[in-house]
Amino acid sequence: MNILIVEDESRIAKRIERMTRDIFGDTLQSLTHINKLHKALAYIETHSLDLVLLDLNLNGENGFDLLTTVVSQSFHTIVISAYKDQAITAFEYGVLDFVPKPFNKDRLEQAFNRTITKEKPENKIKYLAVKGRHRIQLIPIEDLLYIKGAGVYTELFLADGKKELHDKSLEKLEQLLSPTFERIHKSYLMKMSEVKEIVVKSGSKYMAELKNGELIPIGRTKYKDIKAKWL
Amino acid sequence: MNLRFLPCFLFVLLLVTSCSQSSIYKKYETVFRVGDQQEWASKNLNDQDWRKRIRLVPDGKVFWSRTKIGILNTSESLHPYGLQLHVYGEYEVFWDGVLIGKNGNPGQEAILGPEGKMWANFSIPTHLTEKGEHLLALRSSLYYFPNHTVIKVLEIDYYDDLLIDRLIESSYMHLFAGAFLIASFYFLFLFLSDKKEYTTLIFSISCFLFFILILTEFSKVYVPIHYSLHVIRLQIISFLMFGISFLIPFYFSMQFPFPKRKLLLTIYTGVLFFFFLSKHIIELTTNNMALSMWVFSFGIVVFGVYKKMKGARLVLLTLLLSVPIGFVTPFNKSLFAGFCLILLGMFYLLSLRIKEQRLAYENSLIQSTRLRLELLKKNIQPHFLMNTLTSLIDWVEEAPKKGVLFIEALAKEFDLFNQIENQTLIPISQEIALCRTHLEIMEYRKEINYSWQDEGIDPEQKIPPAILHTLLENGITHSLPLEDNSIKFKLIFESNSHYKCYTFLTFAALEERATNNREEGTGLKYIKARLTESYHSKWDFTSEPTNHGWKNTLKIYS
Repeated sequence: MNILIVEDESRIAKRIERMTRDIFGDTLQSLTHINKLHKALAYIETHSLDLVLLDLNLNGENGFDLLTTVVSQSFHTIVISAYKDQAITAFEYGVLDFVPKPFNKDRLEQAFNRTITKEKPENKIKYLAVKGRHRIQLIPIEDLLYIKGAGVYTELFLADGKKELHDKSLEKLEQLLSPTFERIHKSYLMKMSEVKEIVVKSGSKYMAELKNGELIPIGRTKYKDIKAKWL
Repeated sequence: MNLRFLPCFLFVLLLVTSCSQSSIYKKYETVFRVGDQQEWASKNLNDQDWRKRIRLVPDGKVFWSRTKIGILNTSESLHPYGLQLHVYGEYEVFWDGVLIGKNGNPGQEAILGPEGKMWANFSIPTHLTEKGEHLLALRSSLYYFPNHTVIKVLEIDYYDDLLIDRLIESSYMHLFAGAFLIASFYFLFLFLSDKKEYTTLIFSISCFLFFILILTEFSKVYVPIHYSLHVIRLQIISFLMFGISFLIPFYFSMQFPFPKRKLLLTIYTGVLFFFFLSKHIIELTTNNMALSMWVFSFGIVVFGVYKKMKGARLVLLTLLLSVPIGFVTPFNKSLFAGFCLILLGMFYLLSLRIKEQRLAYENSLIQSTRLRLELLKKNIQPHFLMNTLTSLIDWVEEAPKKGVLFIEALAKEFDLFNQIENQTLIPISQEIALCRTHLEIMEYRKEINYSWQDEGIDPEQKIPPAILHTLLENGITHSLPLEDNSIKFKLIFESNSHYKCYTFLTFAALEERATNNREEGTGLKYIKARLTESYHSKWDFTSEPTNHGWKNTLKIYS
């Protein structure tokens, strides 16, 4: 686990650091603390990370510009902030959890658990931030049909027929997007409200037929679960 | 909006119609002759060699005037005609050779002293007023103004009406005068309660001058004035006109400020003086002053309309309305009607200004409440409170004894905030104590060595609350510690006879990026609003980076 803490309050940063070390123990590979936004951004570009713990109000700078940048990256983001009223927005942008200050070890651990388990919280995500050529684009979840895994990246298939590339892995997106999205295949994350019916093809191949007629394969092992859950 | 001027306009119409009633007589040319013969009073005298005008009758010598008058309707027996005269001099009145009245002692003025009055009414016996030609002869002397051989007013009407009409007219005008007197007092009291509002004072004086002007003009109806004293009345009127003619445009110039105000006002005053001093004919002087007042005021108000100033259009309308009134009514009436309109316009302007002031006052109340809330918010806004509490929990968990000190510092800051919360100015020492506690708290949170220094502080001085505190917060937020993990703050106070100056310095490593203006903005807004609240515009604030960190300078002018 490679973790970055972005926090300008030295005492609080130390607290997060101490607790994180306690929680992850040996699985922690690296833990870095940065107190400046722009330094943090530079660090993110050059280092491989699994998790960023982010304070949204650094030295009076508004962290939401940063937030869209951070959530478009491959790693998960947990916001630790004094402003509880920002929680909803943060979730809409696709952070894994929002830990309000003051916090204790249990609350932090609960947030960390979301990164490793597939515990499915009630989800409020509204956008997926996608890195464009020059700027970050926010794609509304309602425009999204399904997601296809493509190596470390994912491809987002949109209702208007467009395709966008996302930096997060299919697993991470599954954590953010459930339960409206279901992993119906090793390589596919499907918005279940878009599925019209399940068709059986020769050789007991199962396919999900979308409302627009597209056919997406359903994994053999997943079929039972999906049938039980959705039919 | 224009409805409020309707009653006034109607009254003016009334005045206009009241003086254009149909006549019951016809007046022929008056002829004069110096000398004194009783038969000159008789109706059928050949006066063809009499002169149309004599320039001078020196030493109070007796002279006669004869005026042929045609009566168009025979009077009713119990309803006699009367004669109204406005004539300089003392005289006896003969109607068709019969003595019908006496005003003073013609020819004996120097011996007997002044007697009689300028405006006099005489009843004409009914048997002498049948339809047809009649003769009015005056046996006069002009001891005091030997060159005023003019019959200024000669009017014939029913005797009762002559007396009553003028009383009615003057009582209306006195009602007017009373209204202006009350307005004058009201605005004087307004001025006394707020001595900075010179417009109310000018308005009050204008109203008062106007009140006196009406009294002076219409007192002639009931105060007998001898012709030798009449010039004093005219001089008073001319003085009052001078004052009013200056004050009204001056008032407009304050309501609708225009460029080069002083120069133009000086020129205007010069013009007024020219008219005032060149008083060959007093009526003409007042007329000229009234006209120049109108022209100058009109110019100012047109400028106000051009610049879209509040109320200018309505005032322009009243000025324009006073023009037709000036054309259709005799001078003394048009003067008052026009004045009345102009004063109403001024009244309206003043009411607008008072409304503006009330709104400004209400706004200032809201503003100070807002500032108070902002001050209170400083300690409960989440960024401060939650970060402090998180650090506090950590200190309590990790080093309970330090945690307790932290809580004490926090308690002290809250206590100080409670003390200053509802004040607009606090002693500088209290503000410094607030800053020091804040640094103590921030030291526990940020684990940076903050230090505070002050120099030349006068503990008696006062300052709006949390101004330095806000600067300190900005300093903490936007600076990085020096190499020895310290940030130093220094407050320097200097004062001289012109201003007091606080210099607040931050010694720190500055952030490389200077994109912090936005957040700094809200803090600076608070500071500026507080300074304006306490010092209006007599302050100056600058904030700039230096090579050692940051420098804020606050100057308060005395």
